[in-house]
Amino acid sequence: MRKKKEQTVNEFNQVVVGNSLTKEAWKRLKKNKMAVFGMVVVIIYAIISFSASLLPIYPYDESIIDHQHLRPSLTKTSGELMLEQQYKNLYFKAWRAGRLVLSEDENQMVEELILKNETNKVWDYLYKEGESQREAGTFTFNSSEQKTIDRYIDKINTDIQITIDNLYYLLNGKKVKLSKLDYATLLDLYSKEINASADLIEESLNKEIRSQVTNTVKGNLADASEEDITAAVNLEIENMSRKDWEAKACESIIGKLESSAKKTIEKKMKAQIAEGSVEFPYKGDIEVNDHITAKVEISLKHMRRYFLGTDYLGRDLLSRIIYGGQISIAIGLIGTITSVLIGILVGSIAGYRGGKVDYYLMRFVDIMYGLPYMLLVIICMAIFGRKIFNLFFALAMVSWLTIARMVRGQIMSLKNQEYVEAARSMGASTSHIILRHMVPNSLSVIIVYSTIRIPAFIMQESFLSFLGLGVQAPYASWGSLIGDGVASMTLYPWKLICPSVAMIVFLFAMNFFGDGLRDAFDPQSKNQL
Amino acid sequence: MTKYIIKRLIGMIPTMLIIITLSFFIVRIAPGGPFDGERALPEVVKRNIEAKYHMDEPLWQQYGRYLFDVIRGDLGPSYKYKDHDVNSLIFNSIPNSIYLGCIAMAIALLFGVSFGIIAAVKQNTLLDYLPMGIAALGLSVPLFVVGPLLQYIFAMKLGWFPTSGWFTEGLGWKTIVLPSVALSFAYYADIARLTRSSMLETLRSDYIRTAKAKGMRNSIIIFKHAMKGAMLPIVSYLGPAFAGIITGSIVVEQVFRVPGLGKFFVQSSFNRDYTLIVGVVIVYSAILIVMNFVVDVVYAQLDPRITYK
Repeated sequence: MRKKKEQTVNEFNQVVVGNSLTKEAWKRLKKNKMAVFGMVVVIIYAIISFSASLLPIYPYDESIIDHQHLRPSLTKTSGELMLEQQYKNLYFKAWRAGRLVLSEDENQMVEELILKNETNKVWDYLYKEGESQREAGTFTFNSSEQKTIDRYIDKINTDIQITIDNLYYLLNGKKVKLSKLDYATLLDLYSKEINASADLIEESLNKEIRSQVTNTVKGNLADASEEDITAAVNLEIENMSRKDWEAKACESIIGKLESSAKKTIEKKMKAQIAEGSVEFPYKGDIEVNDHITAKVEISLKHMRRYFLGTDYLGRDLLSRIIYGGQISIAIGLIGTITSVLIGILVGSIAGYRGGKVDYYLMRFVDIMYGLPYMLLVIICMAIFGRKIFNLFFALAMVSWLTIARMVRGQIMSLKNQEYVEAARSMGASTSHIILRHMVPNSLSVIIVYSTIRIPAFIMQESFLSFLGLGVQAPYASWGSLIGDGVASMTLYPWKLICPSVAMIVFLFAMNFFGDGLRDAFDPQSKNQL
Repeated sequence: MTKYIIKRLIGMIPTMLIIITLSFFIVRIAPGGPFDGERALPEVVKRNIEAKYHMDEPLWQQYGRYLFDVIRGDLGPSYKYKDHDVNSLIFNSIPNSIYLGCIAMAIALLFGVSFGIIAAVKQNTLLDYLPMGIAALGLSVPLFVVGPLLQYIFAMKLGWFPTSGWFTEGLGWKTIVLPSVALSFAYYADIARLTRSSMLETLRSDYIRTAKAKGMRNSIIIFKHAMKGAMLPIVSYLGPAFAGIITGSIVVEQVFRVPGLGKFFVQSSFNRDYTLIVGVVIVYSAILIVMNFVVDVVYAQLDPRITYK
């Protein structure tokens, strides 16, 4: 009888289970509390930022002009914050006009605060003072102020935001989605809708599409002359097939119908609000006219909540930080992967081939080391245009040097190992030996180095974005958010603090995680930086 | 040793040449030129201007002309700042950048080395955890956050230091403090951590044990025996650190309005002021390469095991 499987047994007859390097490393990593904490934080960040489009947050590029510079608040809605700001302004004006009476000391204190440029403190103080005086009855708003406030409250209570999901058209007694209609029917329908001839509409559509094309061409050829642009536009339009043209025209017609539908719905809703017969948020179908119905979502504009405040265009800072994190982390990851791939390629060729190839490649790396590479990246970004792809490219091109050196060292030490010799004697090709034997064996070093590189990459990207050379609007990255915040940090400190904290926590966690990984894979490591 | 120094000095030449070539061609292959403004210039005017700056010649001829000028020490006229040449623009502003960089480096070295040593000697006490905690923070907080935060807290809230300005403009020594502290923060972190780990390793080595066994005083052991060995990694760290200080100072100069070289660099990249960009890159690279060289020589002086052939 043969045993099913031969098992290794130690001197006490206990089964010995072999441990792989990764398993050992994982065991060591688990013991390091800070590293585990860092790992958890990194995973949470990754999940949040990559599922950003699924999260119940406002779109990162949706700006509401009424909501500029609202401070962060967990409890108050944007409407309440707007009203508070309005009160602050009125109290300040009343104090200036001498109607809000303070004691001599208090007056002096406020004056001093104004001299010190502490606008926020002045507002807060006068607001508190004014509210208490108004309650006590020693201060009342005059009629014009009261009117302003009433109008403001009315605006807050009635401003609605309408999102049209779909428009339906009653065609021969059947409801049809507008987006599914073809161009001819749509044109016919639209001409009936606005009582204009189809030819006229077609002409204006032609003009519109031309201006659209001109805009995109101008965006692509920023420095071209007027004539070049006209020529490019003509070429573009000639090359456009009838189908593309119709698609564009349909889009434009639907857009026009939507905006007119929005106006009608708004009127209807205002009337209903006055009667008090609707509740928000409203979701459902609304008849725009006899033959068009719209599936809409309506909410009160000023019931929104901004947990981290808003920026100078009234965009939600929370969602901007999350989407910014998405871009920053993606750049960190993709940049690191690209640079590691280049590094492995160069390093393994240099290490395995040795001799002249090695000498020239390594001299090249040495010279590249001497370059002030961040300066070259800045030049590239400023001159070749500030596109995210360029950013990846420029950063990856300059950061493969260290990894190439490391891989070369690893490969050189592995080159004379028995198993490589065995593989070679069996006739394995060079690429097979490198890819199947050497790279996997130096992978732990590479992985550890990569985790340490990611925060550095994110910092470099943010550095460029901070200078205005990185990610461009409407996209955000942590660096560009911080750059925006710096400009107005005295008045709106949260715009600097929130993105900074988000970024620092991530980098902190990433650093601890990277350190932990290195200690776990290489417990004898001497340079525990 | 002299032979090695000469060899290294000669080795700098190809590196400089590559830097000049690379930056010369990068700025020129991109679309758009320094004279493409908002309004298109008349063809004749543009041709005249280009002829004045020799931009109508073929590229290799321009390159040769530029290279020859650089060797003579002339970095050419600026295309955007009329009536200024690149030399005067750079050498009026570079002292400020150098002051800033050197002071920041000095602060980072002073605090980094001393706290690193204290942390290593008093391992696992508060004197170890506190400086190392700050150092861990320094690794994770980017420079462009440190700068504005320091400005916000110490200049705007507490009013101890001015928010911006520079002492060469007659605004007093206080203007130096915030920018150089901000710039030194990240380097303090690296240096402190490096010092601590290399000091710990040195303190465990045999020759320190021998010194202790002979009954030497602790202070002598640390400062005379351990320090010399433990400083080696820090010296080799200083080379790359200078590269970082140069790029870092671009941010600090922007935040604190220091009239240094960094401002020109970012602006001229946007303006496509070819000669100024290449000039700034050449000057920065020269500083960097010289610093690397000095570091290598100092390293060799400190470590008798290294022999140079």
